[in-house]
Amino acid sequence: MQRRDFLRNLGVGAAGAVILPSVSFAADAPKPKGSNVLSYKDALKAVTGGKTAEVSAKVNLKVPEIAENGAVVPVTVEIDYPMTDSNYVKAIHVLTEKNANSRCIDVHLSPANGKAMLATRVKLGETQEIVAIAELSNGTFLMASQSVKVTIGGCG
Amino acid sequence: MEISRRDFMHICAIFGLGATTASSAAPRAVSQISLKDINSFKDTGNFTLLHVCDMHAHIKPLYWREPSTLISAPNLVGTPGFLCGEAFAKHYGLEPSSLDAYFDTHIDFESLAKKFGKMGGIAHIKTVVEHVRKTRGEENVLFLDSGDTWQGTGVALKSRGEAIVKAQNYLGIDVMVGHWEFTYGKERVKELIEMLDAKFISQNVVGNDSFADDYEELIFEPYTIEERGGAKIGIIGQSFPFTSTANPKEFTQGWSFGLRLDTLQEYVDELREEHKVDCVVVLSHDGFSVDQEVARKVNGIDFILSGHTHDPSPKPIVINGCVIVIAGSHGKYVGRLDIDAKDGKVRDYEYKLIPIASKLIPADPEGEKLVEELYAPYNKELNEVLGKTKNILYKRDTFFSTFDQLINDAIMDEMKCDISFTPGYRWGTTVLAGEDILMDNVYEMCGITYPDVYTFELKGDKIASLLEDIADNVFNANPLYQQGGDMSRLGGVTYSIAVSNKAGERISNLMIGNKPIDLNKTYIVSSWGGNLQNAGTNLQEDKIRAVYDITRDYIKRKKVVDVSNEGNVTLLDYDCGCPVEGSRSCS
Repeated sequence: MQRRDFLRNLGVGAAGAVILPSVSFAADAPKPKGSNVLSYKDALKAVTGGKTAEVSAKVNLKVPEIAENGAVVPVTVEIDYPMTDSNYVKAIHVLTEKNANSRCIDVHLSPANGKAMLATRVKLGETQEIVAIAELSNGTFLMASQSVKVTIGGCG
Repeated sequence: MEISRRDFMHICAIFGLGATTASSAAPRAVSQISLKDINSFKDTGNFTLLHVCDMHAHIKPLYWREPSTLISAPNLVGTPGFLCGEAFAKHYGLEPSSLDAYFDTHIDFESLAKKFGKMGGIAHIKTVVEHVRKTRGEENVLFLDSGDTWQGTGVALKSRGEAIVKAQNYLGIDVMVGHWEFTYGKERVKELIEMLDAKFISQNVVGNDSFADDYEELIFEPYTIEERGGAKIGIIGQSFPFTSTANPKEFTQGWSFGLRLDTLQEYVDELREEHKVDCVVVLSHDGFSVDQEVARKVNGIDFILSGHTHDPSPKPIVINGCVIVIAGSHGKYVGRLDIDAKDGKVRDYEYKLIPIASKLIPADPEGEKLVEELYAPYNKELNEVLGKTKNILYKRDTFFSTFDQLINDAIMDEMKCDISFTPGYRWGTTVLAGEDILMDNVYEMCGITYPDVYTFELKGDKIASLLEDIADNVFNANPLYQQGGDMSRLGGVTYSIAVSNKAGERISNLMIGNKPIDLNKTYIVSSWGGNLQNAGTNLQEDKIRAVYDITRDYIKRKKVVDVSNEGNVTLLDYDCGCPVEGSRSCS
């Protein structure tokens, strides 16, 4: 997305009231005892409480196929879903398959946000899947994933 | 050597000369084949796109042998982009020993080289281009360049790209995109674009320095709209998506690349809906196989003029209504695409990949003069004879080629390392057996703006995982995860590979200095053209030296080099180097 588009989107939001989503990063998440380690399986369970997240085209995950820099991989998630009082996206979670701490970011939303969307950067230690999960107000979960290659260098 | 009647008939077929003329043509010497014969083409529609890609700064004719090994994942092997040798000849119906077999495959290369001579060269390209401009009308012709044009020879390196921009201006290039262009650095790229008559476009280069004015803004115009033959032609630029991982980041610090298919789709729609163009063209440096994926994922593109992977493709491929062409490399070919487009619709097209056979196509005297002028300041160094080669020196092939082995031999001889890494680029040159090796040839193989050979320490387990990583860049079953080069060439190492295995499990029987690799041992590694040194420790700073100087000195010491084409890699899951579609063998 171009910056102007982003600003334009913000502008639309600003016409009402700017509601900032509440955000918690992995670092803020309750830490397991000992080192900062949380496997993908455990992180997924923590997010969904053991429910199945259904793969859905409504979760629009944008990440590069090959990371330009594994330390700052841009991730954008947009959920194509209503944001009405009775039916909305409650949260977006981003997980990584192989990072030591799999849980990257949790963004909590309310209908007042108007649109379920986030853009951030994640650090990837190696080639792996990035998983985006949308938590809906009806208690179900949608997800999308894509592999991102982290490589020391290639060929010309 | 005389061109026989049989050869002449093949040439006529390639250039589209009518069969009646061909059958009545008596055998003629090379010099007797007229330009009229060569330029024959079934004119179609209201305008013509001429296309070059990956010239790699070869403004003079050269020999260029196509690969004898081109292996990929089983789902891709034998498909356009992964065809070579007999499989290529079979797929495209080439006659053995014909001019097109000489241009498109390695088969009988050396004997055919003596018959048909060198390939490419701007003075010869210009003759073909001028003929098209004259017969079609200059106002109906557009000349597009898919990039990798400014880099690849001594004259390019020493003039920091300027000689090549002058060559492009002489040829009359209208629009281009880039990849190796960026290795001159951002500032130089901007200077060269100032000198360039053509437009430099890219929809997939975006500022990513949050403190810069161009943060999240396009660095170049994403597209251009040109009018030819009464048609509005929208051309979207796609530079190499993986420039910042394939080449050192410092050259493009602050610029982000990537495929950016979502914005590509937006520009296609914008050209169609807002600008009402008659034809949408993507001028691309994605690579032939990646562009086949692009055509599947992005709707509404009429033509992709591809580049990067150096494939000659005599016939276009059509995917999702999109026609994809690619015009080889090193200036060996010009693609001619005649298009009939009107009222927002492409109605017809005709395509031909024209081989620039320098013995058959007369040189434009202006071009010869220009090449002479551009080379004059550097002739003394570039024409120095360093030695001779006993066997053919060539570049390409998936795992091994003789000129790369020569470079590895030179590095190992000087650096006294256990392992030498040489990059799997697809550009270079060919020197025939028994010929002199000139300094110019060395630059044709390794003339880059970051030529330093680094010698450092790397642990065995790191070496093993690096090789797997590189293998996955080459052999990933999904073209979107490939970077379009070949395997790094290794000196001091032998290994076996099963290409179709999962990532991380392809390589076995890895031997260093004839002994099985010790994963805990620290090895001395030399490498250039990549960033392996960043993964190593104890860099020997006093030993850092340019690869072309190391190679020059080694050839001079040896006087005659004798590199065998035996190779150091055992391929476990294919029977031959050029498998056919759906098979692990050549038949």
